[in-house]
Amino acid sequence: MSDLNFLTIAEASRLIATRKLSPVELTEAYLARIEALDHLLDSFVTLTAERARAEAKAAEATIAASGPVSRMHGIPYCLKDIYDTAGIRTTGMSKLLADNVPTRDSYCQERLAAAGGVLLGKNATWEFAHGGPSWDVLFPPARNPWDRDYSPAGSSSGSGAAVAAGFSPATLGTDTGGSIRSPAAACGIAGLKPTYGLVSRRGVIPNCFSHDHAGPLAWTTEDVAILLQIIAGHDPEDPGCADVPIPDYAAALTGDVKGLVIGVPTTWLEDEAPPSAPTKAAFEAALEVFRSLGATVRPVTLPPLKQFDDAKKTIAVAELFTIHAADLRTRPDLFGASLRYRIIAGGLVRAEEYIQAMRQRTDLARAMQAVMATVDVLMLPTNEPAGKLEPIPPASLFTRTSFTTPFNVGGNPALSVCSGYAANGLPFSLQIVGRLFDECTVLRAGDAYEKATPWRDQRPVLVAKETA
Amino acid sequence: MTAMPTNDEIALLARQAGLDLKPEYFQELVDAYGNVRRMIDRIPTGRPRGDEPAHVFVPTKFLPVTE
Repeated sequence: MSDLNFLTIAEASRLIATRKLSPVELTEAYLARIEALDHLLDSFVTLTAERARAEAKAAEATIAASGPVSRMHGIPYCLKDIYDTAGIRTTGMSKLLADNVPTRDSYCQERLAAAGGVLLGKNATWEFAHGGPSWDVLFPPARNPWDRDYSPAGSSSGSGAAVAAGFSPATLGTDTGGSIRSPAAACGIAGLKPTYGLVSRRGVIPNCFSHDHAGPLAWTTEDVAILLQIIAGHDPEDPGCADVPIPDYAAALTGDVKGLVIGVPTTWLEDEAPPSAPTKAAFEAALEVFRSLGATVRPVTLPPLKQFDDAKKTIAVAELFTIHAADLRTRPDLFGASLRYRIIAGGLVRAEEYIQAMRQRTDLARAMQAVMATVDVLMLPTNEPAGKLEPIPPASLFTRTSFTTPFNVGGNPALSVCSGYAANGLPFSLQIVGRLFDECTVLRAGDAYEKATPWRDQRPVLVAKETA
Repeated sequence: MTAMPTNDEIALLARQAGLDLKPEYFQELVDAYGNVRRMIDRIPTGRPRGDEPAHVFVPTKFLPVTE
């Protein structure tokens, strides 16, 4: 293990820019750690070592000649295996795409390559970013680096595990109901679901068009901001992509949250889905940190969680079925059982039912924005700490409530950051939600919190656990 | 709540959806559809005619791309 594996993007970028660190040296450190330890976590499904070495060498030469073109220049990263990568297989973890090699990069991969990043490989996901964890798909499920018996959550499971384990400082995931924020929460890192339409989904295998978001995961909020700066922007090839000005996200990280008004959805937390006592205590402690920094906290009332879940999941099951209909009709055996269960009934959803759910989404999104107009951010736990890595009854997708899904319905930016550690060592999580396209305030709050707390000083110890 | 369709009715709906499922997958469908049906039944209906769904067609998104 090398200390290089635990540099943040911001730290590595500064060292590279001042010629104190070589992108080749940095890349070799990550490749060595992945080679030595990823058999414990299965966070990568494809490693692109030779390509990474070539990109690192090219980055080093360019930086030596003319300086870095971005803060990601010479920095390694990886991608959830539903982002198309030209010439590199993109499987979605599914037997259906075992031999799928795209001929064109996804928009985000184009942006990261143009920024001089070094692609290490592709991360494990739940099948097609929806069904899992599964043991009957193309690759085994990823494991949580804080405890291998525990789940890294999903669906960007390998992405969360890889960053927490020091296999990569950066990765991109996708989030349709919580799939960036939940792995970030389970693995104790930062993960941002940007505003719907801020980041292009072109070249990303769809889960549910109307709720899909692409976004970054990294160890710190500052690193998430650096990644967002690279991938945010209008892409006319994604019809859902918004043409809006892109601010300087790093410049927004002032550390100042004095006067910030924080809304807490108390009816969710007290009546509808009360968190466990330890999670509640961690959340209250996080709010106290913000109070000590000069923020104010007030209760807000949002529509019931169940309404968000019902609308989103009805829409999603219909869209998922449409996306996979041909394969469900002709070769259903190639789906993992978890995903097949979760999408097959979408074929029986009538058009009227789908459109009524979309109308309900309109109402819920309006209600969400009305509440957001009264506060600067919302805060709530992202999830409970990770559970054991074991099969989840597939019906639970339809029955459990979620603190993450409402912000896919509303489209609002939502960041998960680490907010401490439970008695068993697994991370607690804090979710910070902003107004539409106000990523700056969300990131500012997350960064200020991380800098006011000690949680970023602690890393999972993979080797010690294995040799204990 | 809408009455849950019988297995025969679900089989008909499945055929209309182009699904010709072996018995164990059909049972998966019956179980999954029960969950989906309960969600759908909770979604409000009886809306004004003019209520737009969350996705509408935005023609400017389909203008030719100019570099």
